[in-house]
Amino acid sequence: MVPRPKPSLRADGITAGYGNVPVIRDVSISVGPGEVVAVIGPNGAGKSTLLKSLVGILHVSAGHVWLGTEEVTNRPPEELARRGVGYVPQVNDIFEPLTVLENLEMGGYLLSRSQVRRRVEEVGQVFPALPPMLKRRADKLSGGERKMLAIGRVLMLDPEVLILDEPTANLSPKVADALLSQHVTRLAAAGKAVLLVEQRARAALQVADWTSVLVSGVTRLEGSPGDLLKRQDFEELFLGAGPRSAAPRVEEVEENT
Amino acid sequence: MSLFQAAFGFGLVSMSVIALGAVGFTMQFGITNMINLAYGEVMISSAYVAYYINRAGVSIWIGMIAGAIFGAVFSFLLNRIVYSPFQRKGTSLLGMVIVSLAVSLMIANLLLPLVTYNSVSYQETSGSLIRMAGVILTTNQILIILLAVVVMLAIHGLLRYTRLGKAMRATAANPILARNCGIATQRVVDVVWLITGALCGLAGVVAALNSDSFAVANGAGFLITALAAAVLGGAGQPYGAMIGAVIIGLVTELSAAAWSPEYKEVVAFGILVLVMVLRPQGLLAKRGALAAAG
Repeated sequence: MVPRPKPSLRADGITAGYGNVPVIRDVSISVGPGEVVAVIGPNGAGKSTLLKSLVGILHVSAGHVWLGTEEVTNRPPEELARRGVGYVPQVNDIFEPLTVLENLEMGGYLLSRSQVRRRVEEVGQVFPALPPMLKRRADKLSGGERKMLAIGRVLMLDPEVLILDEPTANLSPKVADALLSQHVTRLAAAGKAVLLVEQRARAALQVADWTSVLVSGVTRLEGSPGDLLKRQDFEELFLGAGPRSAAPRVEEVEENT
Repeated sequence: MSLFQAAFGFGLVSMSVIALGAVGFTMQFGITNMINLAYGEVMISSAYVAYYINRAGVSIWIGMIAGAIFGAVFSFLLNRIVYSPFQRKGTSLLGMVIVSLAVSLMIANLLLPLVTYNSVSYQETSGSLIRMAGVILTTNQILIILLAVVVMLAIHGLLRYTRLGKAMRATAANPILARNCGIATQRVVDVVWLITGALCGLAGVVAALNSDSFAVANGAGFLITALAAAVLGGAGQPYGAMIGAVIIGLVTELSAAAWSPEYKEVVAFGILVLVMVLRPQGLLAKRGALAAAG
């Protein structure tokens, strides 16, 4: 098995949720440079909650989040952005009333004017569809264009860690496949640590170097996609809705870690 | 000069006065999600600051600057000390409206012992009469129109072309995403309260200057007019508030000439009600746009 890189971002046993109700419990995950880590699981498993707690939007009530060697648990989102964590939410991922260029400028808010100009050009090379539409209002974009803008906006700060919450949601299968197989893998190849949540498990397993299966707020399985696919109970576990698999089985995590 | 030409001239002045107040009010709501019903009281307090400076023998135009500074600082502190702590605790939008109503009553009742019930007016001549395209206006009225035009252009330039203005629009559209971009939204909100507070103070002094006299009781009327123009144009939309101000300013004065001055506000608010029935989101706002942003 290929050894995993040293983590850029690591969560150790975090519990988080809304108010006093924990949605995820004791979840650990890490992602290193050049790596694509996919979190998969059924609806309501707590995948988005996990990502929001990593980027400072939701309060972590137990456990720790590390960025390299520095602890960043419950640091505000703007600080994490400054420290190189880019986050693309599943919905409300762009500033709709602003133009494409203004969205990119906001992505590069922490940069100087000349740096912004340079980065807009560089991001345009990553997503060639964006430069011709810089003046267009963001709410006029198609689903695929919109997602490219959302990722492009995050790339403005050239983050070390890229966190994508269901980037292929609401995209046509063709656009979704292109986004995962071309753009996401290319970003990882460029050295970014990519952590993504995906509903389409098979597609995620094709691009991921490491996969974590979240069910009912706890990690049920994790491993390389090859290892996971070999498991006979993977399909059943991922679907997760059946009564047999509803109860967490922590030992499965333990035997895989 | 016909009655309508005169009314048009007054309409230009009215819309300028209303626009100054309405744009600040709507920006407060659009960016900080705060329907600040104490806006009219901050306007009248600023008008009184300018009044005391003016009474000491200083020109009202200098007093106006002092009023704007007072409005900015007062609004900033109001948000920091009262509104912001409530918002952090998760008080609902309706709850915040009630808080601002309470603040409004407190300001009005704190003002009364200081300035009394009596009406006052600025010691400033209205300036010489100037005739342009059949419309006769005083120098002061022309200065008020120019001031409003300059301020509106400045707001447009701020929002459209500056990094801060774009950050304001980004914060208004999606505050969490703005933070994910590294924008310190709390600082942006602070600046918004300073800018809109300055507009509020300026609007208060201009509205007082445009009246024969003013008193504490006028605060409520100032608020209603700003609110009406803001809602007419689409709550939270600065350009909408400008359009709302133009419509209300012109309609009130033209209806006064055509019908009766007593009913001019009835006509203006009748139009507001009509627009609300036909297009509840206001003239410029997209239906549900603010909800989506929240």
